[in-house]
Amino acid sequence: MLQPHSLLWHYLWVAPSVLLLGLAGRMRWLCLHKKFPLFFTLAIVSAIEQLTLYACDLAPSVGAITWWEIFWAGLLVEGILKFALVGEIFARVFNAYSSIAQLGRLVILGVGVALVLTAAFFAVRAPQDSLFEIVNGAHLLEQTIYLVEAGLLVVIFLLSSYFSLFLDRPLFGIALGMSFSALVHLATWAVAANAGLPPPKRVILDFVNMATYHVCVLIWFYYLLVPREVTTKSAVPLPENNLDVWNRELERLVHP
Amino acid sequence: MTIAILVVIAAALGLLFILGVTLSRSWQISPGAGLVRQIKPLDIEAFRNLVDPAEDEYLRRRLPAPEFRLVRRKRLRAMAAYVQAAGRNADILVRVGQAALAASEAPTAEAARRLVDNALLLRRNAIFALLRIYIALAWPNSGLAATRVLRGYEQLNGSAMLLGRLQNPAVPVRISATL
Repeated sequence: MLQPHSLLWHYLWVAPSVLLLGLAGRMRWLCLHKKFPLFFTLAIVSAIEQLTLYACDLAPSVGAITWWEIFWAGLLVEGILKFALVGEIFARVFNAYSSIAQLGRLVILGVGVALVLTAAFFAVRAPQDSLFEIVNGAHLLEQTIYLVEAGLLVVIFLLSSYFSLFLDRPLFGIALGMSFSALVHLATWAVAANAGLPPPKRVILDFVNMATYHVCVLIWFYYLLVPREVTTKSAVPLPENNLDVWNRELERLVHP
Repeated sequence: MTIAILVVIAAALGLLFILGVTLSRSWQISPGAGLVRQIKPLDIEAFRNLVDPAEDEYLRRRLPAPEFRLVRRKRLRAMAAYVQAAGRNADILVRVGQAALAASEAPTAEAARRLVDNALLLRRNAIFALLRIYIALAWPNSGLAATRVLRGYEQLNGSAMLLGRLQNPAVPVRISATL
């Protein structure tokens, strides 16, 4: 069952991309694409990229080198989109509050630089694991992208949980799916890039990656499309004169 | 191979953390009376006395150096306890304020936004104040300013009172009375 070109293999490669296109369509229908334009774009680009790679894998006319070149191109475009989306998530969480926006920017900048340096160090230290330079480079680029992406997302979760900031449901779902995907892919690509498994067993990593991606798509479906139970809170408006009196009381409290 | 093991361990820890955040989010207590009851009352006057540099100067002049260091360390530990309690209270008020942000009434939403901003500022200042306190514990003769936390706490107190008043005019100082 866990063999290339098995039924499960075909399903795990194609189904998440088809579901993602469906999610993008539904987002457009609900006008969510205006609220999350980068995620909407990433969903379409990722789905098209994976379906193209799948078709190229099956087509006998496409050679191995061409397949890896397409993979590289898709990886670069997807990487840029992912970092832009991480930036958007960060801005939505922290820019709303002026008191911690500056601190958040400093932390994310510092961590970002540290992650890029760590990723570069890991890439330099990684052994040559493939006969083809293009394959080896792809593994290292994947490891680098996922290391930086996962690190930044974990820091966003750390800061928001320390400051008890409540991410709204769709944004939390997007960040959750991306983090889950980035962390699992980081682990699998690190094993692949550092020759952790003999080539015949590498297919297991492909299955883990594809299954993880499928789970992430389902997470996005759940958080973006399943509505949350809404609790209404009644707040009583305060008459203007009472507000003035109250402000004077506050003044006395702050400056006794 | 060592790098792969390190990365896999880091990724597993990251996954556990994200899972923890997701679970705690779904189990989170709904912001209400229960949450507000978790706020611990703080004696602002005692806190003000602890962070007053004039008090420290007075003690420095009156006490022999070894005794001053002993007293100063005790004051710093008390100060750290106050700052931690203020930070915890601020954390609760962030949640209370965020729950009120969705209010349709503009004054309530504005008061909630101010409360969240003040509480976040206080929580941020509390980290730095605690760092300075722990450094001062090692060098008790050094100067220390935790007054920003005190000022932030007073501001927070004001914001919480205002929000409490706007949400429930019949019980105007319900939140602030416990601060």
